[in-house]
Amino acid sequence: MRFFWLSALTIMWAHFSWAQNTSLNAGDFFGDLKARHIGPALMSGRIADVELHPNNSNVVLIGAAGGGVWKSQDGGIRFTSIFDQYCQSIGCVSIDPNDPDNTYWVGTGETWTRNSVSAGDGIYKTTDGGKNWTNMGLPKSDRIASIQINPKNSNEVFVAVLGALWGPSDERGVYKTSDGGKTWSNVLSVNNTTGCSELVMDPTQPNVLYAAFWEFRRSAYSFNSGGLNSALYKSTDGGNTWKKLENGLPKGKKGRIAVAIAPSNAQILYAVIEAEKKEEKGLYRSDDGGNSWTFLNGDFALTVRPFYFSRITVHPSDPNIIAKAGLFGSISRDGGKTFENLGSMHSDIHDIVFDKAQPNKMLVATDGGLYLSLNGGSSLEIVENLPLSQFYHVSIDNRNPYYVFGGLQDNNSWFGPSSSPGGVEARDWELVGQGDGFRVYPHPTNPKIVYSEMQGAEAIWRFDVEKQQLKTVKPYALEGEPKLRFNWNASLTTSKHQPDRLYVGSQYVHISNDRGDTWTKISPDLTTNDPNKQQQEGSGGLSADNSGAENHCTIFSIAESPLSDQILWIGTDDGNVQLTKDGGKTWENLSHNFPGLPANTWCYHLEASVHGKEIAYAVFDGHAKNDYTPYVYKTSDFGKTWKSIVTPEITTFVRNIQEDFVNQDLLYLGAENGLYISLNGGKNWSAFTNNFPKVAVHYLELHPTKHALIAATHGRGIIILDDVRPLRGIKEELLTKNLSFFDTDVFTLPEKSTFGGTASENQFVGDNPSGNAKISYFLPKRHTFGKMTGEITDLEGKLVSKVEVGKNKGINTVEWGFNALAPKTAKGKGFSIAPAPYVKAGKYKVKITKGNEVFEQMIEVRYDSTSSFTATDRIKQQECTKELFGMVEDLAYLVYQIDEWDAKAQAFKAKNGKPNKTVDALIKELTALRNILVVTTGDNYVGAAEDQLREKINEIYGTIVGYFGAPSESELANVKGLKNQLISAQKTFNVLKDGKIKEFSSILTKSTSVAVPEILSKEAFLQK
Amino acid sequence: MKHLLSLFGVLLTALTLQAQTVDEIITDYYNAIGGANWDKVSSITMKANVEQGGMKIPVEVVRMRDGRTYTQITVMGNTMTMQAFDGTTSWTTNFMSMEAEKSTSDETENAKRSAGDFPDALLQYKQLGYTPTLMGTETVDGTSCYKIKLEKKTQLVEGKETANIEYLFIDQENKVPLMMEAEIMEGEMKGKIGQTKFSDYQEVEGVYLPFSNVSGIKGEGTQTIQFESIVINATIDETKFNFPKK
Repeated sequence: MRFFWLSALTIMWAHFSWAQNTSLNAGDFFGDLKARHIGPALMSGRIADVELHPNNSNVVLIGAAGGGVWKSQDGGIRFTSIFDQYCQSIGCVSIDPNDPDNTYWVGTGETWTRNSVSAGDGIYKTTDGGKNWTNMGLPKSDRIASIQINPKNSNEVFVAVLGALWGPSDERGVYKTSDGGKTWSNVLSVNNTTGCSELVMDPTQPNVLYAAFWEFRRSAYSFNSGGLNSALYKSTDGGNTWKKLENGLPKGKKGRIAVAIAPSNAQILYAVIEAEKKEEKGLYRSDDGGNSWTFLNGDFALTVRPFYFSRITVHPSDPNIIAKAGLFGSISRDGGKTFENLGSMHSDIHDIVFDKAQPNKMLVATDGGLYLSLNGGSSLEIVENLPLSQFYHVSIDNRNPYYVFGGLQDNNSWFGPSSSPGGVEARDWELVGQGDGFRVYPHPTNPKIVYSEMQGAEAIWRFDVEKQQLKTVKPYALEGEPKLRFNWNASLTTSKHQPDRLYVGSQYVHISNDRGDTWTKISPDLTTNDPNKQQQEGSGGLSADNSGAENHCTIFSIAESPLSDQILWIGTDDGNVQLTKDGGKTWENLSHNFPGLPANTWCYHLEASVHGKEIAYAVFDGHAKNDYTPYVYKTSDFGKTWKSIVTPEITTFVRNIQEDFVNQDLLYLGAENGLYISLNGGKNWSAFTNNFPKVAVHYLELHPTKHALIAATHGRGIIILDDVRPLRGIKEELLTKNLSFFDTDVFTLPEKSTFGGTASENQFVGDNPSGNAKISYFLPKRHTFGKMTGEITDLEGKLVSKVEVGKNKGINTVEWGFNALAPKTAKGKGFSIAPAPYVKAGKYKVKITKGNEVFEQMIEVRYDSTSSFTATDRIKQQECTKELFGMVEDLAYLVYQIDEWDAKAQAFKAKNGKPNKTVDALIKELTALRNILVVTTGDNYVGAAEDQLREKINEIYGTIVGYFGAPSESELANVKGLKNQLISAQKTFNVLKDGKIKEFSSILTKSTSVAVPEILSKEAFLQK
Repeated sequence: MKHLLSLFGVLLTALTLQAQTVDEIITDYYNAIGGANWDKVSSITMKANVEQGGMKIPVEVVRMRDGRTYTQITVMGNTMTMQAFDGTTSWTTNFMSMEAEKSTSDETENAKRSAGDFPDALLQYKQLGYTPTLMGTETVDGTSCYKIKLEKKTQLVEGKETANIEYLFIDQENKVPLMMEAEIMEGEMKGKIGQTKFSDYQEVEGVYLPFSNVSGIKGEGTQTIQFESIVINATIDETKFNFPKK
């Protein structure tokens, strides 16, 4: 027994010591800190797969290349994201034909294997239409090309695992489950370089399957499609045995193969084959279930870039109508003999589906979103609410609101505002580059000048947005110098010290001090310059593919120290980190100083610290070598030594780090699977998931004055955390207090009005940040029991406004719209609104009552220093507001008294039965008076009655309150006239009070049936 | 030592938590909010003052054990029924004409079907023939909760019988619901997830009720209603439930 206690104590002690050593875990305290998405969706993003419900084609699922799974229930008009909490790189989506309303499968990992593709983490299933998902395994599958469900048995599912793109992998081939995904067996595999790229099931005989196998490999500097192991297979026994299909198909090496079965006649098959010989590349048809094949067509549309376009779709009822994904997408109506291009839409088509119920309706997945056609693909319309944009980078400016700048995969370069009237919508974005867009920067002091680039620095532009003048400003190799090597995503940046300076990285660092007009090389070749990694013209395999995407041995990251323009940290895609402290005169290679880092790992990002010249962070991304390990380092000695700040909480590779500018221990990390935050310099990390999907984050930027963290995601557009300041204030000691306020800034009273946005109903509109005063506080645990309320008071404690308070564990925010209480308005028919006035600049208190405890924090409100209104204007506006506020309430009180006496008079009349002259006259006069004070008839729309005094006072009151300058003379004259009417009405009532009301009152005193009304004092009435 | 013992307590609790069944969670929840005291409750009258841009809008919500309910608001002295169900008809007020109008047949039928969900469908699931399933644990804004799927009687959506599912998130420590989620089944928001978060549980005559409800669409804006008073078995003007005769 004693022994038991000793060991129990030891275990507990170990646990306790561990608990003490563990520092604050950010994830416990994010509370109501929530990300905001601004898209955009106008250029949408790459979609890998589309699937329709078999019996209700209003239900559409799409799998986005980097933006998750979205569902439409109206035939593709509106989509909702249903997969935010999971891997956003999607290979395929499938709907169980046995339970199409509820059961869907998702294979993660896109299979259109371009250089920028993200990876998957297995297969998922939902049985409730996408509300809840379960990971069903295949964790190393990397990319899944197809999921085929037996239409007679939901438990039997076949999966095409393409497998790893960047290295060998044993998890490839056809996998089968017979128990709904609990266990899997590999029923067909070839080798560790050849995966299953397509799998189709005969809809009439589920035991018949066709599987295409593809030998392929990508590295950072080359791509290979094709080999002797690529082949097409058929099984007729549910995957137990497979036969290679060869009769009539090309011999020798093959590349990627597309295969499809005609739904109306399962003996008819089409295959598009990437063959060794040019004349054998193209479309093949079989009319006997794959036993023999005939070559039909080798048109460009069929053979273009098979690694990117290998989907062929056969019409649901006509086996001779087939659609082929491709550069433009094409369709044949004669069984494949001839093809024509589909109508205008974004290029690079990945999937096409026909609607069984409306055979002319098609949905088309492209690099630029989803398109719908109702006429067999002749004309198409884009879906405007899929914010799937794939940013490579983001930068920001200092305007108010600030703008974000960035380039997109196959979708140009853009900038747009971080907020806009009515929300950030499509029309807010401005085009500033062509092709694939990457790094876009505003000129640091003149944001109307924007720098942008296209792939491989084929162009670097300086664009004058105001004058719409465009100049190409890229550096060129000088005579006798080697060719310049630029990365696909070429490094380009501005300087924090010299506004007209630009840096561009090839294998050299180029510097310009005149906005790109003249360039100087300030470094030797900083890369490894490995000739074996510079053979791009041979890249592609069976189909040459020298697009620039595999350019290598280039500079990828340039970080100028925010503390000195002489200090530059340079990272290369082949693993070098080089430092100069003298503006490029001398360079030091630091790449051997990173413990645990495999040689030649791509240096994806360098962050030169604001907290010290000697401090920097380095992020390396090994995924192009099939290494998904996160590598993040910090140096505090100019790179002599580096310390890893990676913990097991980071589950995959990382591309970017952003340090906080105030709290050195606060770090933000952009990973392949989302955003991570550390409160303690990387001792531990937490995934930030509050409205932040598990999407690849390619770049992070922190706004130095707005305190916003801006994430460039590769699949979900720009995502913003509007205010990170509460994160800066989280400390251990807050855990011991019941509620702690974080420091706040002085708040600026917004003085803008807006008519809102212009987006149509189905266009995506990005959220605006809140324009309210935001006061944040910390709760060590969630408030569940007892009352908790919030108020804004003046310094004497008088109530100014009531506010809603957050009750979450961790960070909470009170928002206040700078309003005081609204005046009480007179009762009448319908609504006539008298809004709350804004408060004056000055000091106020936030008061939170939590149970019996009261917590207070002083806050300050100031006027906008850039405002065009003078102090005298404001005083005039405030005085007029005060007068009108009083008039609104005086009228309310007057009408209240009239209503009270009228009600009694009506009651007396009803009870008394016989006419009473005094009472009848009183009723008549009260009614007449009320009729000129408030509207008493009509409705709130076109049946409205003529405005009366209440409506008129409220109208001018609303006008005065809503404008921050002085009221105009004509407004003041209007107020004066209305005031006179009010005074006159009050006089009329006072005459009544001294006359007929007095008489009626004495009648009531004698009456037993109706009591004298208890008229509240004005003060009491206003409090009611 | 005190630390160690409390730590040991925490470990034991953690072990017990794992073993909980859905029925145990529901029983804990039932006991946490007052248990058998609920048997005496025939109606709940809740009053709040919602501040809309500084304007005070009194709100009164009444729920009866028999399923009748109304929500009234008072704007500028005009009291109107936002939503009501009198046992036969579900109805609202048109804000343009200020006249009562019937809700859709689906809504009335669905109100009838959920009439027995008093005080909370999860507690009565056996009598109502609903099915709760414990789906595991999930964190709600930093607080660890049990996630329970509650499948109710089907509901009518666009005239079709459709599954009616709610997800309840019950605080592991305090045993009370912190959040409810359900898919929006109709309209432009169809497919999005509606959320209501509960807090400020307070005792009223032996039972506990959340005085604060924050509702909205997952990932989007929210609206808070903070009840200032909740009265059990108050005197109720029963005509307020009824669809007005025209």
